[in-house]
Amino acid sequence: MSAAYGKYLAIARAAFWQRLSERAALIGRIAFYCLILLVFSCVWRSIFSAQEPLGAHRKAAAHAAGDYVWYLALTEWIMLSQPTLYLDIESDVRSGDIAYQLARPLSYVGGKLAEGVGDLLLRMLTLAPFGLLFARLFSGQWADGRGLMLAALVGVMAALLLLLCYAAIGLCAFWLHDCTPVYLVWQKLLFVLGGLMLPLSIYPEWLRALAQRLPFASMLYGPGQLVSHPDAGRALELSVELGAWVVLAGLLVLGLERRGRRVLELAGG
Amino acid sequence: MTAAIEVVELRKCFSSRQRAPGLQAAFRELFRPPRLQHVAVDGISFRIARGERVAFVGPNGAGKSTSIKMLSGILHPTSGSAQVLGYTPWRERRQLAYRIGTVFGQRTQLWYHLPAADTFALLARVYERDLSAHRRRLEALIEALELGAELHKPVRELSLGQRMRCEIVASLLHDPDIVFLDEPTIGLDVSAKAAIRDVLREQSRRDGKTLLFTSHDTGDMESVCERAIILHQGRVLVDQPLEVLRREHIRVKLLTLHTVEAECSVDLPGIIVLSRQPHRLELEVDLSRLHVEQVVQHVMARARLQDLTVSDPPMEQIIREIYGRASRAAEAASNAGVGASP
Repeated sequence: MSAAYGKYLAIARAAFWQRLSERAALIGRIAFYCLILLVFSCVWRSIFSAQEPLGAHRKAAAHAAGDYVWYLALTEWIMLSQPTLYLDIESDVRSGDIAYQLARPLSYVGGKLAEGVGDLLLRMLTLAPFGLLFARLFSGQWADGRGLMLAALVGVMAALLLLLCYAAIGLCAFWLHDCTPVYLVWQKLLFVLGGLMLPLSIYPEWLRALAQRLPFASMLYGPGQLVSHPDAGRALELSVELGAWVVLAGLLVLGLERRGRRVLELAGG
Repeated sequence: MTAAIEVVELRKCFSSRQRAPGLQAAFRELFRPPRLQHVAVDGISFRIARGERVAFVGPNGAGKSTSIKMLSGILHPTSGSAQVLGYTPWRERRQLAYRIGTVFGQRTQLWYHLPAADTFALLARVYERDLSAHRRRLEALIEALELGAELHKPVRELSLGQRMRCEIVASLLHDPDIVFLDEPTIGLDVSAKAAIRDVLREQSRRDGKTLLFTSHDTGDMESVCERAIILHQGRVLVDQPLEVLRREHIRVKLLTLHTVEAECSVDLPGIIVLSRQPHRLELEVDLSRLHVEQVVQHVMARARLQDLTVSDPPMEQIIREIYGRASRAAEAASNAGVGASP
């Protein structure tokens, strides 16, 4: 690997070790992950048992509730692994720190993304075993191994796309100074149209059709449904879809950085 | 000597949004916000030779940091030109970045939760350094700045002085030709300041590094630099070697006299008694009215001298006086303008 790219790898590695030293934050995330899976597993168990109260159906209902827990474990794994990249970029822009970082021989946004990737990787690796453990405990069943494997692979791609989206939100600080409103709108759309807590399959037909045309569904619902419906063809299709969104989001991030830097060069840090 | 930095008529204006009071104005400003132009750097020109150590002096808002930002390629000027090591900084920022080092006293390039040693290893990658050359240079800098065990502690556990020494290492590690230092000793104690000043001076003398140094502490300037560029309201007020600066702008001398007698009265015009203690007298002599020799003779006629020290006023006082004169001249010019208007 050339030295020009090696520096970004070194930044990702430093970010990985830096986050590893923040144990309290990691423990907090794991506790939240556990709590959310526990609450939703109780909710779904009670919904399904109310719908299917009798004999053999009860077993099927428990199984369906278990699938939902595994679905949530996967979508929350992607969400909770996300570093708050938009806040880091916003803080750099607002404090003027970005100006000083430009005096180094590397791309500002490239460095931030590398930092984000290191951070993301650490969180994904830390949360994954706990996700498996909690989902098994609260659902009372194991998910299909192949499904988990496919979902995890596509999930990593989805997390990278999400990271790019967060970078784009953070770069809006050049014009807005405070990105929280953009982030909140984005987050609500992602929760609703991405199917964070409920799979899109239970949405009304028109809403599902709309959601599936947007990138949100491929970030959460797509990898989530692979856990209980392992399908290599669908996984490949999703990967291509995510790849296309990654290219588009990458171009958006580069464009925003270039225009933002121009603002900075003319207006100061 | 070839120039490390050459600046010609460099100017930077910022425009900021103005807000008028009232609801009507608020609505109007939604569509056409009024903007106010502010000149931060107003046509400065200077040339700095390779290996020179120059202090950039001025009060807050004089344009020091804006000038350094333009010279390191972070800001585009409104007009004028600058060459730093043959590069136009704002056009060739990335190439220039390999050859300059920066220390901004209130910003950090160290990773907060990691040991400084990890940041140094990362910087070797960022600046694409040969690893064995990097190790040698790191060892030399660690020795010069007396950093040892601190290197392996997380940065958050270091004192301000230790952290600043690490910042200096980080800025010199890639062996830059020019180092821009913006208040590198801010908030440090005497020994930390001295260590940093020694290393910077030594690096410049031995390796020919050019230093451009801004600080509110004139001690930094006196112990590291050989020339001062004094800025005032975005313009160069004085650009002189420190020696010349002292010679041309010193209007007073400080005299400390130790006498056998407990009391000694001095009543000469042009003298201010700064402090009076038994057997000790501190005087400020106005050189435009008196010679030091006259004062000494005057005292010797009244008391027996045990010891005598003659010194220059501190650089801070000299600079304060230069600013005072500039402000008075500006005021006089504006009054003359008002008087001349019909």
